[in-house]
Amino acid sequence: MRRVREVIGVAVSGLTSRKVRTLLIMLGPVLGVAAIVAAIGINESSKGHLKAKLQELGTDLIVVNASAGFGFGQDPVIEAAAVGRVGRLPDVVAVTGTRQMSDIVTVPFAGAEDYYRAFPVPVIATGLDLPSTLEVPLVSGRFLNEFDESSGARVAVIGRDLADEYGYLRGEQRTIELNGLEYGVVGVLDYVLLEPSMDSAVFVTFRIAVDDWGLDAPDPSRLYVRAPVNTRLVADEIPVVVSLGGPDGANASVPTDLLDAQSQVDESLNNLTKMMGGLALIVGGVGIANVMSISVIQRSSEIGIRRALGHSRGTIAIQFLFEALVVGVLGGIVGAGVGAGVVWGVAEQRGYTMVLSIVGLAGWALVSVGVAVVAGLYPSTKAARLEPLETLRLG
Amino acid sequence: MILALEGVSRIYGEEIEVRALDDVSMEIRAGEFVSIVGPSGSGKSTMLGLLGILDLPTHGVIRVRGVDAAGLSDADRSRLRGDAIGFVFQQFHLIPHLTALGNVETALLYRGLSPRQRRSRAFEALEQVGLGARHDHRPVQLSGGEQQRVAIARAITTQPGVVLADEPTGALDSKNAENVLQIFHDLQTPDRAICIVTHDLHVADSARRKISMLDGHIVADEQLVRS
Repeated sequence: MRRVREVIGVAVSGLTSRKVRTLLIMLGPVLGVAAIVAAIGINESSKGHLKAKLQELGTDLIVVNASAGFGFGQDPVIEAAAVGRVGRLPDVVAVTGTRQMSDIVTVPFAGAEDYYRAFPVPVIATGLDLPSTLEVPLVSGRFLNEFDESSGARVAVIGRDLADEYGYLRGEQRTIELNGLEYGVVGVLDYVLLEPSMDSAVFVTFRIAVDDWGLDAPDPSRLYVRAPVNTRLVADEIPVVVSLGGPDGANASVPTDLLDAQSQVDESLNNLTKMMGGLALIVGGVGIANVMSISVIQRSSEIGIRRALGHSRGTIAIQFLFEALVVGVLGGIVGAGVGAGVVWGVAEQRGYTMVLSIVGLAGWALVSVGVAVVAGLYPSTKAARLEPLETLRLG
Repeated sequence: MILALEGVSRIYGEEIEVRALDDVSMEIRAGEFVSIVGPSGSGKSTMLGLLGILDLPTHGVIRVRGVDAAGLSDADRSRLRGDAIGFVFQQFHLIPHLTALGNVETALLYRGLSPRQRRSRAFEALEQVGLGARHDHRPVQLSGGEQQRVAIARAITTQPGVVLADEPTGALDSKNAENVLQIFHDLQTPDRAICIVTHDLHVADSARRKISMLDGHIVADEQLVRS
């Protein structure tokens, strides 16, 4: 035990006496372990975030987009009657149609047209039960109602980001201008995770869209459908129900499937980053072998004198192997720390909950130790084989 | 008898053989002060390397404390070298990142001593060469003469039976050389032999026994009478 302590002491003294060189050889394991830990940690945290998002969105929402059957029409829609048919499908509990309109310049006050012409705000005609179908609450006021629809009132609900941009105060009596026509703001819709573009949109009724913006009919181009059971079966039925064999087509998808796919993409990216980290570790190992081999040549006089003082070849080999081991241990610990720091930073920035396995951290630090020891084998053998007589240059 | 060469030859090269030492026999006994002299290439450094079992002979036997060194494993031979022989070199060969005390302590590693015992013995050796007060200085903070004295302390701290010195005054000015030579004389005891390889006739003639070498052979082995 005393002998092991002495070998460790000699190794540590050898490393601390050449701090810059030691830091340089430690860079390899540090970068390798940091890259792997960061890749795994960010992926796990992001997966956790996606899972939370899936939980929030629910997995029973179907999005139906109109598509032009047989390639007809530039602006495909789903006729209003089809919306009723979808609503009557078994298992469907809610359905809301929307249609985004173009060429409308929305401004919070007169005189801001130039800016908002360059950065247009989406204007969406919508059914009245959009908040309940998307399960998104209002942060202020109310949503569009039957009276607004039947009376053709010029009222609008705005998204939460737009409310922030317009400096809208909760409960404020406020109007905005849509191509110069004044609309009263009656409410602010909370963040829509599924459709972030809605956060900066203006919502109006289909009736006013027909009256003011020249829609031929209150036909939506997109449907949001809630079907808590048999979600995928319902999604498969919807295109048939919409077209009934006619030219109008529709594509139905379950957005949470996309999130699942996204998580798969993240997994591939994660594997790629792990491979890069592994490569960095191997390159780090080659770096250790390289720098330590040069160090053996530089320290040949020290090796020679130690041999003359009675240190055996084995002791010299173990001394250099311990130096590599210390580099691996420190590199592994620092790398794991740096990797954890990167995961924390990314999680903070993206609003994830940080997920990091302590066992994983320790495991990758151990891999670094293994790489360093294997890398140290060659230089330590080389050191042990040096002939003292050659290194001491007698007479 | 501490060290003995029996019919030792050292041949370098395979295709073109160079006989650095040719069938040499000699002994170093306890308490002797021996100098080995000869021109460059005469084989004196080769003989020093063999006496210190830093090298092994092509033919013949090296005995250290009566043991045939060639028959030992590297670990056993290293242990025997560390126990029986101390070395002093012309270029000092101190480890630059260690203090004077650390350098002397290096000779006491792996001997089952506690750190306290190691420090105490190393400090004692430094005191013996008059450098106790400089124990925490690194080689770069010491003069050439002081560095050589640290090297001597390192050689004697293990209490070896013989100290082998290779041109120990070669890199020193005359005053420091004289000091170092005096230290060697002071270190000679009935239990400890000193063997110095040198070009310096003054150093050689200060010994009790002078071995002269030429072309790998001992050409003279004489006892000197000191006035």
